[in-house]
Amino acid sequence: MSSDYEYSDDDGDYYDDEEMIDGTQDDLSGASEDDMDMDVYGGDDFKVTPKGKRKSYEVDYDSLSQSAVEKLVKEDVDYICSICGVDESVASLLLRHMKWNKERLVEKYMDNPTSLLVAAGVTAPEPTTTSAQSRTRSIDGSASRRSTRGATRILALGGSKTKSPTTSPPLSHYTPRSFKPKSDEPFVCPICFDDSSDLRTLALDCEHTFCSGCWNAYLVSKIRDEGEHSVKCMAEGCALVCPDPFIRTVLVPAPGAPIGDPTQEEDNRKAWSHFQELLVRHYVASNKRLKFCPYPGCTNTVSCPSAADKSSLTTIVPTVSCGARGIGGQMTQSQSQSGWGLTGKEHKFCFGCHIESDHRPVVCSVARMWLKKCRDDSETANWIKSNTKECSQCQSTIEKNGGCNHMTCKKCKHEFCWVCMGPWSEHGTAWYSCNRYDEKAGVDARDAQSRSRASLERYLHYYNRWANHEQSAKLSLDLYAKTEKKMEDMQITSSLTWIEVQFMKKAVEEVERCRMTLKWTYSMAYYLAKGNEKDLFEDNQRDLEKAVEDLSELLEGPIEPENIPMLRQKVTDKTVYVQKRNEIVLEDTAKGFLEGRWKWNASVEGFDEPERTEY
Amino acid sequence: MDARLRRVNKEITDCKNDKSSNIRIELVGDSPFHLKGSFPGPQETPYEGGNFDVDIVIPDSYPFQPVKMKFITKVYHPNISSASGAICLDILKDAWSPVLTLKSTMISLQSLLCSPEPNDPQDAEVAKHYMTSKASFEETARYWTEIYAGGPGSKAGKGVSIGVRDEVAIAGLDPQHVTRFESLGFPRGQVIDVLRRLNYRGANVPKITDDRIVEELLKA
Ligand SMILES: [Zn+2]
Ligand SMILES: [Zn+2]
Ligand SMILES: [Zn+2]
Ligand SMILES: [Zn+2]
Ligand SMILES: [Zn+2]
Ligand SMILES: [Zn+2]
Repeated sequence: MSSDYEYSDDDGDYYDDEEMIDGTQDDLSGASEDDMDMDVYGGDDFKVTPKGKRKSYEVDYDSLSQSAVEKLVKEDVDYICSICGVDESVASLLLRHMKWNKERLVEKYMDNPTSLLVAAGVTAPEPTTTSAQSRTRSIDGSASRRSTRGATRILALGGSKTKSPTTSPPLSHYTPRSFKPKSDEPFVCPICFDDSSDLRTLALDCEHTFCSGCWNAYLVSKIRDEGEHSVKCMAEGCALVCPDPFIRTVLVPAPGAPIGDPTQEEDNRKAWSHFQELLVRHYVASNKRLKFCPYPGCTNTVSCPSAADKSSLTTIVPTVSCGARGIGGQMTQSQSQSGWGLTGKEHKFCFGCHIESDHRPVVCSVARMWLKKCRDDSETANWIKSNTKECSQCQSTIEKNGGCNHMTCKKCKHEFCWVCMGPWSEHGTAWYSCNRYDEKAGVDARDAQSRSRASLERYLHYYNRWANHEQSAKLSLDLYAKTEKKMEDMQITSSLTWIEVQFMKKAVEEVERCRMTLKWTYSMAYYLAKGNEKDLFEDNQRDLEKAVEDLSELLEGPIEPENIPMLRQKVTDKTVYVQKRNEIVLEDTAKGFLEGRWKWNASVEGFDEPERTEY
Repeated sequence: MDARLRRVNKEITDCKNDKSSNIRIELVGDSPFHLKGSFPGPQETPYEGGNFDVDIVIPDSYPFQPVKMKFITKVYHPNISSASGAICLDILKDAWSPVLTLKSTMISLQSLLCSPEPNDPQDAEVAKHYMTSKASFEETARYWTEIYAGGPGSKAGKGVSIGVRDEVAIAGLDPQHVTRFESLGFPRGQVIDVLRRLNYRGANVPKITDDRIVEELLKA
């Protein structure tokens, strides 16, 4: 049967859904897979979703490059230009001020354009303007003409004759021209005190004039060091914001301009590109349907409308990917895997939280609760507090075992009373004759202690399994390396080709993926209310766990050259089986969330209060 | 020459040449980027007669990022940490403008001493004191000026000149209150600590029961 396997897909992703079924059915006839028990999970559950159709544990999302988001930004800017009759740079400042809420912007602008333009740092406030005046003016549009003055002045400063900015490419180049103050006195820059006669000077509409070198240093510092996209004029108390064309004029050398200091040019270039990224980030942060990829150095954005509303996070786990892979210099924008380990790591993240890139099948709030519990580790501390004491004679730590209060220190043989810490010799023969002890309180204390112990043991049961899978998944880089070596050896000792030994890699990847699922199922099970649903959940969990451990063992075992064809068959079969078990856990859990089937034993954010708190 | 260095040198020279203002700036070591500024406490304030020293550090991106200043002299003021000298002032943060200078910033510090802003405090305990009883606050601030900033009282010899510092006055408390709780057998330092923390002053005194204070004293 194994010879029927065709590894025709050269992208390495040869386990197509259809092949999965074929593989499994073929192998059922073989004696090699004795763990397979179709009755357990039934034929119907085995139905594999056709290619292309979304599975219940997946969400619809799109990944957008920075330039794609810039297009969306441009659309909003154009919209505001046309509605409010302002130019692009003004529209951009207004949108940033209004956190990209177009409707609110238009509303506010129609109500009182002057006050909005002042608040957004487009124009300086005019002390004589009364609100009544501006309100009457807003109707005939004269106010909007007035309002564009701030930006047109800068355009004039740049020497551009373009009247309609929407017809020219955005941020076309403006040749800066010296802006000379009216007085005939020689200009001294109020910041660097430079008074050279050939000093290039620049000002916003407020006419607060400074030398271009100071503007340059200021903009770089604000953009690079403070991540500021709305940079105010340098004058004290002046609230005008530098429009984009002004920033470009300062940071981007005009074509044909003399080459300046290379370090400065490089800083400027970086600042300009960082500024554009800041605008995109601000746009994305203001839009609930969008999230910026959290991987360092990545500038992609993911759009996931179904997870925009926080309330959706009780029914779905929005695991998304920006489409790029790798980190830093090794980053690629392609979806296909280029290698193992970190270099080829997909930019996967949760659209709903920052906990972990993929915490399926549990929803964000449960995962968050669990991690908080593990962090606090309070129950372990409580346990140590209620179960250990220091010997009153030698101070070594003694753990209480069983219910007897007659303690004997292993180290110094000191005999004492657990309850009062006094020497046992004063107590007679039974603990309750402790004369400094209230019997009722003693019973309560012992009850509380055993309750706390039981709750700790319960927690440790889930925690240990959770931690074990986390640990194993962390070691997968090691396993990758070892497996790679085995695959090389295999190509030498057997007739298998490179493409034919890929089953090992596929298996290791599957094990890692399933361990992640398993890990999170333990956090889920910890909070699931006792009952039928929990039992079924834990059955599925157990089946997946057993399958994963079997496959793991197979992968880590030694390879005998004569057994390679059999091993290949076995590993392939088990990989398919494990993949199916994982699908079942993911699908069923996700469906349960959609149906509201899961009930908790503790109060979980976003869910109804539990009816009972039985574990 | 480096633009930052040129600007700082010019600022130092300007300050030296300006005899009309009483702001002084001097080098701490060899670097022009670590300075010590000083100015007299403004008239008709509890700081009058004192001399206040300020530690000045010029960051690399000065003047595009704000200068770092903190008081070296201990000051009793709602916007200045009584422990570290850290200053809460908008122009030292986001309201900074590159046109501001060391001198103009020091003048702002001087006027901060004239007009405390207790609603945006740096030192919450001092701010509470200020809001509860302005007269008592001013008395304490004056005492701090005397003992830490060489204020007039130190020369007039009001009993503090010989270096004996009155811990009760430093904490801005009523000596009678301190004595009362001390007589219950609590250590003096502990009583001062608790009463200061509870802001046991002016209109607050009737609001705080003795039981509450004893409770706090027992906790300490
Ligand atoms: Zn300048
Ligand atoms: Zn200005
Ligand atoms: Zn990414
Ligand atoms: Zn999440
Ligand atoms: Zn012992
Ligand atoms: Zn006892």
